[in-house]
Amino acid sequence: MNYPVWQLGFPGGLLIAAVAVLHVFISHFAVGGGAYLVLTEHRAYSDNDSELLGYVRHHSKFFALLTVVLGAVTGVGIWFTIGLVSPEATSSLIHTFVWGWAIEWVFFFVEIAAALIYAYHWDTLDRQTHLVIGWIYFVAAWASLVVINGIITYMLTPGRWLETKNFWAGFFNPTYWPSLCIRTAMAVGLAGIFGLVTAMWEPSALRERVVRWAGWWLVLGIASLLPLSRWYFHDFPAYSRGYFSGMYVGLRHAMLGAEVSAGVALLLALLFALLWPRLMSPVVVAVLLFAGMGIMGAGEYAREFSRYPYVINGYIYANDIRAGQVESIAADGVAKTSPWIEGSAGDPRVYGRELFALECGSCHSVDGYRAMRKFARGWDAKFGGEILLHLPVVRETMPPFAGDAHDRAALGGYLASLAPATPSGANERELGQQVFAIHCALCHSIGGPRRPLDLKGTDPDGIAAMLGTLGDINPDMPPFTGTDAEGHALAVYLSNPSSSH
Amino acid sequence: MNLPIPYPDPMPLPAPVWLLRTLLLLTFFLHVLFMNSLLGGAAVALVCCMRRRSSAFSAQLAGDLGRLLPSVFAFTITLGVAPLLFLQVMYGQFLYASSILIGVPWLAIIGMVVLAYYGVYIFSMKNPQQNYKTTAVLALVVVLLASIAFVYSNNFTLMLAPERWLNIYHSHAGGWSLNWSEPSLLPRYLHFVLGALAVSGLGLVAMGLRQQEDGYRQWLIEQGSLLFTGTTLLNFGVGFWFLVKLSGPARLAFVGGNGFATVLLGVGMLLPLAAVAHLIMAKANKSPKRQLVIGVSCGLLTVAAMVVMRDVLRNLALAPYFSPNQLAVAPQWSIILLFVLLFIAGLATLCYMLRKVAIASRMQVAAARKLQ
Repeated sequence: MNYPVWQLGFPGGLLIAAVAVLHVFISHFAVGGGAYLVLTEHRAYSDNDSELLGYVRHHSKFFALLTVVLGAVTGVGIWFTIGLVSPEATSSLIHTFVWGWAIEWVFFFVEIAAALIYAYHWDTLDRQTHLVIGWIYFVAAWASLVVINGIITYMLTPGRWLETKNFWAGFFNPTYWPSLCIRTAMAVGLAGIFGLVTAMWEPSALRERVVRWAGWWLVLGIASLLPLSRWYFHDFPAYSRGYFSGMYVGLRHAMLGAEVSAGVALLLALLFALLWPRLMSPVVVAVLLFAGMGIMGAGEYAREFSRYPYVINGYIYANDIRAGQVESIAADGVAKTSPWIEGSAGDPRVYGRELFALECGSCHSVDGYRAMRKFARGWDAKFGGEILLHLPVVRETMPPFAGDAHDRAALGGYLASLAPATPSGANERELGQQVFAIHCALCHSIGGPRRPLDLKGTDPDGIAAMLGTLGDINPDMPPFTGTDAEGHALAVYLSNPSSSH
Repeated sequence: MNLPIPYPDPMPLPAPVWLLRTLLLLTFFLHVLFMNSLLGGAAVALVCCMRRRSSAFSAQLAGDLGRLLPSVFAFTITLGVAPLLFLQVMYGQFLYASSILIGVPWLAIIGMVVLAYYGVYIFSMKNPQQNYKTTAVLALVVVLLASIAFVYSNNFTLMLAPERWLNIYHSHAGGWSLNWSEPSLLPRYLHFVLGALAVSGLGLVAMGLRQQEDGYRQWLIEQGSLLFTGTTLLNFGVGFWFLVKLSGPARLAFVGGNGFATVLLGVGMLLPLAAVAHLIMAKANKSPKRQLVIGVSCGLLTVAAMVVMRDVLRNLALAPYFSPNQLAVAPQWSIILLFVLLFIAGLATLCYMLRKVAIASRMQVAAARKLQ
């Protein structure tokens, strides 16, 4: 409301996800990889293993090129992206945690300097000093994680911050410690995976030793994820733990993807790194990289999904509207609240489209991701306007609509115009099935997990009569806006649905 | 006219304005030094690569810059993060709005930085060959860096012009815009880019002062002084153009309307003249080190004056709508103290690491000399 909306043609959240997944994948490697470098160097010295030392030198160059450039710049990239997509939330985070970020910047500075010195001064520094620089790098890199973890977890579980607005209350929030442990474990696992990447460039005898060594890192890191993720999940907000019951297809797939990725990674590491390291090949390493990306991406998706309908839990909604403002926007209307809206007095469809961009665009597109043309198929304008009153009931993950009756009518009309369709059928049951799909299926299923409706055997006339009093049965239900004939057809269908949906 | 200026964040400022402004200007000054050295250094390296066959010193300088530029790039980015952070705390509602209006080029900065950064590494690693491929990569780096600077100039002028926002938004809500209608855009951009070249000239002089080899030392100082003097004198003209193109009240403030702004402009004009004078006098001097050091110092002070002047200009432009002094302040002293302590510890760690590298490098050079 306060800011213009960057209308990309697809939900801005996707853009954040793309930049963020790339960044976290590299940045966690940047943390674990630091420990991997120094411990491998240490091992090479104590075993007097010049070949292993040669490998660490190569690995350190690869490490610096990947983390100092792509890792660091994509980190700034996330910051740029969230400022463009969720400026209100970004501003709030900056105001709450500016000194946290300033501290993270100090660690970042030391980290970058240490990484460059470590990678490019093998021949200049003596062994002891070189190792010290490596440890300085690792401590600074892990310390940046320690800081940034407080800000990320705050967004999911702000805890007592909501009442006190105290920095430390927000920072050391309920998911802080499990998240720190899980991210540290992931960093160890990724250090192993990337250790395997550079091992592939080494001659075979050395390669086997390195593969086994990196394999242990991978197994240790990834295997720890299972108990740690249970601890982490245990501290999630109660309402969002319910999201994992299987109702949300995207989340279900993400969780399945994470489990499969972790399983594949552990199995491959066990077989090709620990048992038969000479069989490790670039193809297996590529699969491991994808598996690592899969675990990381799914984990971040699940965390972000669990925040819905908020971007900062209990404070700012996913569409960048402050929770405390919804009531005043409902009273005053969007046009009076947002200076960026221009069409409230003109064509209602144009105004509706503007409202869509403002209130829905961060998660929905018209035709692509979470496409509204699909969801709104067959809606009439009245139904569109009515359903907006019940969004958090339709999906627990959706913010309430912020606007007055005029705004609802405009957005409802716009949504209804996306895919107008008149329900029709060869017989009354078929027609009823279509009416059900349009008017009821957003919230109800027949025989499915989502609010199942079981009216089988009920008198159709009785059901048709109930359709006129839905709001009395449950105030969370919008009124039925179809014609009498559609209502009767729906009643016939509900009294005898032959198949489940 | 009703302007669409977002209301500031309802949270109070987490530190007094003076502290935030000091940190903003200090970190921005350091960022500008590195950023100028990067942009100017890459341009100088490009010219050196093109002249490598006719000038051995050019080839040598291209090699030296190839070793330096990756680290300069790293610290340009690192030092750029801090001022952007403090800017967002104080002026976030302006910066977020203008960034969204030019969202596509603004976000493209990230991609351009990654490409330019890897380009610098390619140049650095392939530098001994110095063939047309590395020259082409370096040319691409210079174009990318100059483009990044142009997008920054667009955003930092657009954030000061809320009267233009609605028109831009309603004609291109997809963020495919730039701030072309800003009269001061081109002179401001040219002023800053020429400034970057001038600072890299100072960098060459500083490199020369550290050189042992007489011929190369002399050449670096000459070329650096020439680059600084030429671009600085040119920048007087561009600076005047920039001043003329400023909005009326801001322009008037710099020419007598506001005492501080006027003095600052005067200092900002005298310091580079002093720098040029010392660099020219050094040429005629048999032991020019002192004058060169004074010249370089005056040049660096010019950058500092320009950084403050830029801040004054921002405040003048926003004065009709906003000042951070209007905001409520609730300093988070405990965490500020922790930041200060960690900052000191971080600086000490940095000094420790750099000292170790310097000592080890000196010992290596001494050992190599002994062998010869």
